[in-house]
Parts: sequence; structure tokens; C-alpha cells
Amino acid sequence: MNLDLLLDETTAGALDAAWLLRAIAPCGEYGRRATAAGAPDARAIVADAAALDAGTLDALQDALGRAPDVAPALARAGVGDALDDAAFLELLRFCDAWLRARATLARHDRDLGSDAAAAACISLVSLLAHGRAGTYGFYLDERFDPALGAARGRAQRAQAEFDAARGRSTRSIAEALGRDEIGEHEFILMRADAPSPLPEGLRVIREAPTYLLCECDLDERALAALARRDEADAALAQAERAVREALSARVRERVPGLDDAAAAFGALDAHVAKVRFAQTYACVAAEPADAGISFEDARYLPLLDELAREGRAYAPISLDLPGVAILTGPNMGGKSIALRTCGFLALCVALGLPVPAKRARMERFERISWLGIAPESESGGLLSSFAREVVRLREILERPHERTIVLVDEFARTTTPQEGRALLIALVARLRERDATALIATHLAGIAHASGATHYAIRGLRGVPARPAGGDLAEALAALAGAMDYTLAEVTADSPPQADALALARLLGLDDALVAAAYEALG
Amino acid sequence: MNAGAALLDLALRDGAGAIAVVGTGKNAGKTVTTRALLEALRGTCVGLTSIGRDGEAVDIGDAMDKPRLRLEPGTIVATARAVLPVSPASEILETSDLMTAAGPLLYARVKMAAPYELLGPPTASGVRASLAQMRALGAAVTLLDGAVDRVAALAGGDDAIVVATGAATAATVEEAVDDVRALVARLSLPKVDEREPALRLDGALTATMVAALAARGETRQIVVADPTQVVLSGKAFDGAMRRLTLRCERPLRVVAATVASIGRDRYFEPAAFARAVAAATGLPTFDVYAGARAA
Repeated sequence: MNLDLLLDETTAGALDAAWLLRAIAPCGEYGRRATAAGAPDARAIVADAAALDAGTLDALQDALGRAPDVAPALARAGVGDALDDAAFLELLRFCDAWLRARATLARHDRDLGSDAAAAACISLVSLLAHGRAGTYGFYLDERFDPALGAARGRAQRAQAEFDAARGRSTRSIAEALGRDEIGEHEFILMRADAPSPLPEGLRVIREAPTYLLCECDLDERALAALARRDEADAALAQAERAVREALSARVRERVPGLDDAAAAFGALDAHVAKVRFAQTYACVAAEPADAGISFEDARYLPLLDELAREGRAYAPISLDLPGVAILTGPNMGGKSIALRTCGFLALCVALGLPVPAKRARMERFERISWLGIAPESESGGLLSSFAREVVRLREILERPHERTIVLVDEFARTTTPQEGRALLIALVARLRERDATALIATHLAGIAHASGATHYAIRGLRGVPARPAGGDLAEALAALAGAMDYTLAEVTADSPPQADALALARLLGLDDALVAAAYEALG
Repeated sequence: MNAGAALLDLALRDGAGAIAVVGTGKNAGKTVTTRALLEALRGTCVGLTSIGRDGEAVDIGDAMDKPRLRLEPGTIVATARAVLPVSPASEILETSDLMTAAGPLLYARVKMAAPYELLGPPTASGVRASLAQMRALGAAVTLLDGAVDRVAALAGGDDAIVVATGAATAATVEEAVDDVRALVARLSLPKVDEREPALRLDGALTATMVAALAARGETRQIVVADPTQVVLSGKAFDGAMRRLTLRCERPLRVVAATVASIGRDRYFEPAAFARAVAAATGLPTFDVYAGARAA
């Protein structure tokens, strides 16, 4: 599912889609590539969330997180390049991690990748086994080719012979000069102190105004030793290159299988991240529906997470939304969160994810649209709030008729109540014509009755909490949260009218006389 | 005891796990100092990296010969994958996502003595991560050859800093001594006194900020995260120290200075130069070319 086609920036911001994407982010590059390509299966995710314990998920994510990205190495091997030792280490570690993950899954009767992928990983581990060094390292070991050991031995002996030959001439020059070398067979001589001529075998390699940097020339023995060393070094380089080329050729034979293994690892990474999400938030697979959405005890996870960090409880909500419905309720009663919950669940389903609810049944929407109170960062330039909303509504309605859910948060709240009400009634009719699913939150009265739409309300305050003695706002908000019933109920003709705003105003510290006058005006 | 052993003794005395060698300028003798430390650490598992590029045969900046770093078997290096010698092969210990100027960093163990070029991470956080990783891979002591403004990686711990200066870095002895004195003073910025009022800065302290703070008669401690956040030249730093109470959250530990009395274009009388550096910085000072403690 292409997220850009599903929701625009405003809707993504209102629903905090970024939170969801973070929550299902895989651990590695393989998973990120798979996320772009694959389509998850909510039922399989929920099944694995039930079957795989947290320890198993930890083990899988540890293996996935440790696996280096071998795509560049496989590409190079595939075109016949010789790989470097770091690439061999990466391949070895990838195969180790892959086989570890496969063994973990096998304990739960689950497969990872094809037989060809497994065979490629097993044979590559065997191919590179001689290179294992210590716990994690890789070294181009002599066991890959006995010629390597011989070449190394020759190079070491040649270096030792050269060092000995050079050391002899350096010591003799040091004795002649009466001073030590500064390292690497070099001497510094102050111009004023430099003997003339310089001792035989000493050569100036840098002249400064005040000093000479000299290097010991190589005598015949040293020159011969140097030639042997260079030859031995070249032979060693050739022997190492030959081993790398031979190993790379054998890696190349396994590239198709390893590509399969990498793809399977990516799919596993993406899947495990979603399983972890489903397990952490007790998600269920939504039952498919032809139209509308219906859920029980659903949670808007970004808020749940925020409240959990503050040690506060979250009140899940339930709703049956067959088409277009009106939602009313007190200020701070959770109307916007109810809309976001609908949008968040719709987003989860559209992405093939299970939903954070006890039960859910919903259609798979092709478009989710948010209209109304948007994140504060959204700027309308020269447009007023109302004009901005109208432009946005125009854009929503101009889109083709697709399976859409529209979430409307106090649209037209900034114009006259009469005109706002009229617009909302007309909007309900238009959305019905389009067979859209919509939840429209408003403070304006009579819209459901006039449009014939289902009417839900937040239950609201269970009683008016006492105003905190010191007028402390945080205390007042805590009291409000404790007294508020955030659940939704369908409003019928018999439902009592709500007047929580004035109680809320009093709780938040508005003076008693003003609140009393407001009650009187309310009649 | 030779210079390298004495330097090492000073650095490790208070439990340092890492030693950074920083210079007052190019060709201050950092690599020679590092070589002296490596020689003193022979037989110990050493981890080695650099901030930027070190150990290359020719100075990239001026195409002059540079001292090479020929590393002994067992040494662990953190360097760019692209500059690791192809032959003789090293034991590859770990690849990483940390980036250097030449691509990703890796960790390797030297198996046969050979010249190595070190090209480490360019950021303080990258340096910190690479030092920690080398310790995790078994390095008993880690050496860092690098730039002053990245030694923030060592701030707040017991790790040691050795400051190198040389005749190549300044036109006169006086100028060289003044530079190293100012650098050491800046790196030795004291820790904030939590009992006294303080104004904490989020970023760097610049000359403009010093002027503004002094103009308003600021008497609180001016606190930066670590000494590398003070972006002032020698004289400006001296002025700031006179006018303000500068402090830091995470101090650095400067343990010694080294002098290279011979530069490419000039020569300072070694003993007098070393004595002047020791007197100006209050630090034990070593002539690593002469191979002995000088003052």
C-alpha cells in the first residue's frame, strides 16, 4: 500500500501515522527493503504474536539486527569481482545470523526462505569456515591454501633478513655519527654539526635551512635482502589475491541462493516487527466488512503510549459506524480521539496490520481523509480557518469516488452556527451519496436529526468534580479525567441533553458568578 | 625510562583507557609521539585510530614525506575499509556503519607487521564509539591521533591527552610556546562548581558571546559542555579567562606535552624550547625525537 495514496500530509499528521511507522519499523536494511515491496497478512501476524513468545522475538530481532548488509558484496561477486576480506566477514556473519534465525523458527515449526537459500547459507559457512578468527573475525587463513602459509613464512623471513641487514648498517652509521636514529633508519643532523663528508651509506632525503634529514643507504647485502623482501611481499600479495579470487568465484556460484536468503530475511524482519507490534499492543485481525467500521475496546496508540509514559490510564472506546454518523460530546471528552481511533484503525487495516482493539470489523479503505482541527503546525497563509477548511473539503470532494473514510473534526466551527449547521447537513448528504464512511464531530445541535444520520455522543462527566482548593490546573485536569466517561453511546430521542461545558468551565476556575449567570442564560 | 615509557606512565597513572595525541598545528610531531607510545606499549594489545587521516606516506596537504606508522602484530586499528592494506591481510574484526572521509570504518587486527594508514571517524561521537568498540574487541589501551576539536570524545572521563608542539607550527619559539600554553589552558578548563551560580551554554562559546557577556558584567560561571566548545584563539581565550569565569561540564585531562624542535624550515634549540613549553604549560614535557623527558 502506497501511503501517499492512502492519506495526505494533514491526515497523516492528525492520525500520527509516523508513530505507527516507527512502531512497525524493522531492525535492518533487509526489512526496510521488504517493507517497500511486501504486503503483510494481519492474520499471520496475529497468529505469530500468539505463538511466538517475547524471547523468541528477541532472538529473531537479535539475529536480524546483527546481520550486515551483504547486498553490495553479492552484487560485486555476481559480476565477477574479487571480494575483500571485510566482505567475506560480512557474508559469514549474514549466513550465521540467517541460520540462527532459521533454527529459532524451526523450533516453532516455521520455515525461513527456500531450500536453495538454506543450502547456499550452509555451504557458504562451510566455504569460509577456515577464515573464522576468534569469536567474530575473519582472516585469510593458511588453511584456505597451503601456498598462503608458505608465502607468509617467506615474507616474514625476508623481512627479518632485511631488518637485520639494515640494522647492521644503521648501527654502524649511528656509531660514526655518535647519535641515535630517530626511527625508520633516519637521522637528523644539524647543519652546524653535520660531518663533512657524511659517513658512507648515509643519504640526505630532506634539506631544511637548519638541519638535514638523512636516511641510511642500503649496502649490497641490504639491497639484496630488500629485493628478496619485495619479491616475497609480491608473492604473498599474489597468493592472497589468488585465494580471494578463488573464494569469490565460489561465492558467485551461491549468489542466487544468497539473494533468496536475503529476500527471506527481509520478509522475516518486516514480519517480526509487526508481530512485535501486535504482541505489544494486543492487536487483533479485523474481520472484513463490505462497508463501514465497527470495533470494540479500540485504542488510539500514540495517545495510549503518551499516557502510559505519564503513568495514566487509557479508556478504550467501542463504535459501530455503518455509514455516516454524527458525534457530539463535551469539551475534552475525547471526540477528536474517537475520530483518530477510527482513522488509526482504518490505517492499520489498509497497511495489512492487525488493529489495537478487542474486536474489529471493517472495510479496507483506499483513502482516509481528515477535515477540521489539524495539527498546529499547519498554516493557511492568507486564508482564515474557515476558508482553509472549505478549500480542504473541496479537495476531498474532488477526489474520485473511492472507498473512503472521512473524519470531520468540528468543521465550520468558526462560522455562524446556523450556516455551519446547514453546511454539515449538506455534507452528510453528499457523503452518503458517495457511499463514504464518515464520523463527524461537532458541537452544533440538531444535525443528526435533520440529516437522519446516526448520532453518537461521548458519555461525558459522570458527576461534576469539586474544584481544586488552590485552583491548580493540573489537579483540575486530573479530576476531570477521573470524572469523564470517554465511551460512546448512541443518542436517541430519550437521551438527556448534555451541558458539560459550564461544569467544565467552573472546574477550570472560571468564577462562580459568571458560571451561574451562564446556567441562568441556558435556562 | 625513555620518553614513550614516561609518557605512558603519566597517562595511565590515573586509570586512563585512552590516550589522545593532539597537536598545535600540522607537523607538530603527533605521529612521532604516537610511535613513541606504541613502542612503549609493545606487548600490550593496543587499539589505534585517528581523527582524520594519519600514517599516510605523503602529507596530502603539502606533498611532503610524513612519518609512517608501521604497526606490530596484535595491534587493533579502526580505519576506513578503503585504506586497509590489501596485503598482508589483516584479521577483520568488525565492519561498521560509522563513516569516515573514505567510506565506512572497520576494525582489524594486524597479523604481520606492515605500514598502516589510519583514517578514523571525523566526529566526536564516532571517535567515542570507535574507542569503545576497540576496547570491546580486546584493546587494553587505545591511542587516538587527532584533531583538538574532536577530543570531546574523551571529555568527562579519566582518559589522557598529550599535546604535541613543534618548530613546524610557529615562526618563533615564543609564538610556539604561546600557542601551546593557550591550547593547554583551553583544554584544561576546570569543571563547573555546582554550588555557585552558572550560565550554561548549549553550544560553543565564541568571541562575540564573550564580548556580550563581559559587556553586561556577567559574574556567573559560564559553562560549556566540554573544553572543545570554547572557540577562541589564544589571546581571545586569555582575555575571556580574565573577564569571565569559564567552566565546563566534562573536563579533559591533559597529562603531558611533547616538543619537536626540528621543523621543515626552522630549528629551535631543543632544551630551551622544551623548558619554555614546560614552564608555560606546567606539564611534564618530552622531546620525542631526543627520546627523553626534557623538562
